Amino acid sequence: MSVLSYILIIAGGIFYATGGLGLLRMPSLYTRAQAGTKATTLGTMLTLAGVIAARPEWTLKILLIMFFIVATNPVGSSTLIRSAYRSGVKPYGQPEVDDLSGFYGKEEEQ
Amino acid sequence: MKRVFAGLLAVAFGVVLLLGISASTGLFSYNEELLDDSAASHYIAKDVNGDTGEIIFGETMDAETGSANMVTSVIANYRSFDTLGEVTVLFLAALGVSLLAGSMDKGRKRRKSGFILKVSSGILFPLMLVTGIYIFTHGHLTPGGGFPGGSMIASSFLLLYLADENFRANVRGFKIAEGIAGTLYVVLGIIGLLAGGYFLINFLPTGVVGNLFSGGIIPIVYVIIGLKVGSEITGIITDMFNEEVKA
Repeated sequence: MSVLSYILIIAGGIFYATGGLGLLRMPSLYTRAQAGTKATTLGTMLTLAGVIAARPEWTLKILLIMFFIVATNPVGSSTLIRSAYRSGVKPYGQPEVDDLSGFYGKEEEQ
Repeated sequence: MKRVFAGLLAVAFGVVLLLGISASTGLFSYNEELLDDSAASHYIAKDVNGDTGEIIFGETMDAETGSANMVTSVIANYRSFDTLGEVTVLFLAALGVSLLAGSMDKGRKRRKSGFILKVSSGILFPLMLVTGIYIFTHGHLTPGGGFPGGSMIASSFLLLYLADENFRANVRGFKIAEGIAGTLYVVLGIIGLLAGGYFLINFLPTGVVGNLFSGGIIPIVYVIIGLKVGSEITGIITDMFNEEVKA
């Protein structure tokens, strides 16, 4: 049981490390946000799953924490990125698809 | 001339206060009987090694504070008067923000918020509210208490403000809740003065350590603090949003 928990916690740590590397190396705000939120969400899930494996009596509490992270982390990052787009932060290079181009300008005029 | 007189008066007042609090000069006449009877002497004379029956979670009855959390024992029982002052500091801060920002609703439109935030705030708001209430009702059992619980309630209202551009909190309701909570705190202190002899003394039975209904007045104090802090910070958020709309 404890071996399983160590494996899960170390896997979570690897995801955290990848996320940190992405924050340092990614070229634009949007790609950095990917690294900063997706990697840390999965990293936290794995670490908490490791804690469940180590201490099964905390399961309910940890499931609650997991639920809060799943419910808040994506919402927070999407809101941040949305306001970044509205403030006119340019994506890296020339994106082939930009469904939002011109969308927010129109909305403001209405 | 008037200023010199006022200055001399202030200095004399300070000297009287400084000398008065020392037992050797004794301008305020500290007599032994008064000291014997005071709350301070009880704690000065208290022996660390006496009264050390082991405290068992869920079994020990009628401990001195009855709180399972040591920090809560200090904040909401031994130094409850100090906490009353802290709550007053927050009240004054909220009052200052309200005077500067103005609680008048300027009624201009805020920026439209995103679809994802709007949908998820409907799910998250009640959960955050319940979690905040949980934290301040369990302040005597677990880490946390009135201040973090109240802040969590206020942040759930902040989420509503961010998610819905037409949302307006009921400012009047929050002001009334805040006033009632503050008054109740003082009334609780005065009841303690009448029942036990000291302001804010823990006059209720303290019960079994670790139960939800234990700790005497500590949970009541924390619920009051939670409501007061929550409504005050929500008031600050409302004032800030109105100010932002004006600019």
